[in-house]
Formats: sequence, C-alpha cells, structure tokens
Amino acid sequence: MSEERLARPEIAEMAGASALPRKSGEMVFHDEWERRAFALAVSLAERGQFEWREFQQQLIESIAQSEQRDPQYPGRGYYESWLAALEALLRRKRLLGDRVD
Amino acid sequence: MSAHDDHHHDAPASPYHRSERSAEQNRALAERVTKIESLLIAKGLVDKGALDRLVDIYENDLGPLNGAKVVARAWVDPDYKKRLLANATAAIAELGFGGLQGEHMVVVENSPHVHNVVVCTLCSCYPWPVLGLPPTWYKDAAYRSRVVVDPRSVLRDFGTTLDDSVEVRVWDSSAEVRYLVLPQRPAGTEHLKEAQLVEFIDRDSMIGVKKVRVS
Repeated sequence: MSEERLARPEIAEMAGASALPRKSGEMVFHDEWERRAFALAVSLAERGQFEWREFQQQLIESIAQSEQRDPQYPGRGYYESWLAALEALLRRKRLLGDRVD
Repeated sequence: MSAHDDHHHDAPASPYHRSERSAEQNRALAERVTKIESLLIAKGLVDKGALDRLVDIYENDLGPLNGAKVVARAWVDPDYKKRLLANATAAIAELGFGGLQGEHMVVVENSPHVHNVVVCTLCSCYPWPVLGLPPTWYKDAAYRSRVVVDPRSVLRDFGTTLDDSVEVRVWDSSAEVRYLVLPQRPAGTEHLKEAQLVEFIDRDSMIGVKKVRVS
C-alpha cells in the first residue's frame, strides 16, 4: 500500500485513438507478442531512450495509416500499429544499430 | 454477464479492430518482436527481467493509492478539502491524477450523520485514475441492484454497521459523473501525518462500503 505507484499516467491513461485497449478497465493482450511489444516501448521510454510523447505521436500516425482506407475496418489491430510505430521510432533513433531492414 | 459489460464508456471504443489473425500472421509478428527484443537486450538498452515486471505494473498498479492520497490531503488541509468538494476533478488533478475515466469526478463526504456509497447500476463506471481497476464484486449484478434497494444490508455484508440515525446515500456513477467517497477520518489519528494516514485509507472506504479503520 505504501509503495509508490509506478505506472506512468501519461502512458496508462492515453486517450483517443492511442488509448490502450482495455475491457472493464483491464488491459487486453490477445497474444504474448503484444505484451512484449508493449513492454519494450514502455521500458525504452522509462530508460529515457525516447520521450513517451514521441512514441505516442508515432503510434497515432501508425493507427491513422492503418485506418486510411476504411476507418471502420483498419488494416491492422492496435498492437500491430504499436509494433510498426516502435520499429519506425527505433529506426529513426538508430537504436538498433546501423542495420537497415 | 450482461449486455452492459461492453458498454462503450467502460473502455475506449473498439480495443480490437481485428481480433482474428492467422497463426501464421501471429508467428511473423512474434518474430518481429523477438528480433527487436534481442537486439535491444544485446545492446543493453532493455533488461529481460525489467520487461516482465513492467507489464505487471501496468496491468495491476493503477491502484487505489492515488485516491488514498487525495483523501489524506483533504483530511489534513481544510482548504484542499473545500476545493475537492467544490470541484473534484480539478482538485484531484492538483495532485497529478486524472485522465481517462477520471473526468467529471464528484466527491461526497461522509459525516457522523451521512454515509455515502457508490455504485454503477448500468455497468461498472469507476474512477480508474484514483481507484485503479474495479473489484469484481463492484461489477456484479448482485451488488449493483441490491445496494440501491437495501444499502444497509449490503453494508452489513461488508461488515459495516451503521446507527439507524445515520442517513445512507447511494450514488449512481455513470459516464457523466463518477463518485468518490471522502470517508471520515477515524478518531485517534490526530497525531498522524498525511503520509501515515494514506496507509489506512483503502479502496472499499472510498467506494463507501467500509469505514476507514486504524488497527
């Protein structure tokens, strides 16, 4: 009870299109890779490799991209867009080294 | 449980646009994650153990601690309490809490004459930023219907007995208004500091099914 809250509100409580998928308040991960993709992005932000708003911006763009053709039926799910955003940001920040792929 | 479980204000719209991916697609996606993960681990930018703990935190840690801090502050700071009762959303934001499902907060104060208890009869509207995730019983049809009809017996189930002279008020949270109970500060805690008080304030007392006890 006396332990500090560790979840960062700007991550946990993102609003709008970038809001974390939840059902009755609980986070929803359909596959294990989604959980791992979530953890990677949050961990890198917590370690200061990028600002959370940079990732969020990338995520919003990534979601918008997937909704371009038809907002009702986006081309990919939330965590697929999340992964695409993470990959794009890592490339931009050159955090994966010089490999370009 | 009921059709209301998928009520739109209970969660951001459409968590999953596409819930059916083929095993093959999933494998490909998992491989992409593994590739990034191992590169980042190799470079020392992330740590395997930390990653696992992190998910735990986000899944479980939006706890009622924030609400406890709000209550403790109101107990020790009369001006803050005044602001909290006048405009709860703003006063809660002063402590840095807010956001999704924390808009339109209203705080109702317990007194020796009035005891407040909160429910969401429609589904499970609940102020996440201050109380975290709702307990299972809060979402149960039994609690949702019974507390409106016979709050005293529900409170008794939680071990809370009230004098007949105490008026019980039931507040129905919705997408528009989310209630938080400001419990009474227990007698004999005058010497405690704000941070110590926080320890005693639990979730159930802020929903209103229990009183704050120092034991």
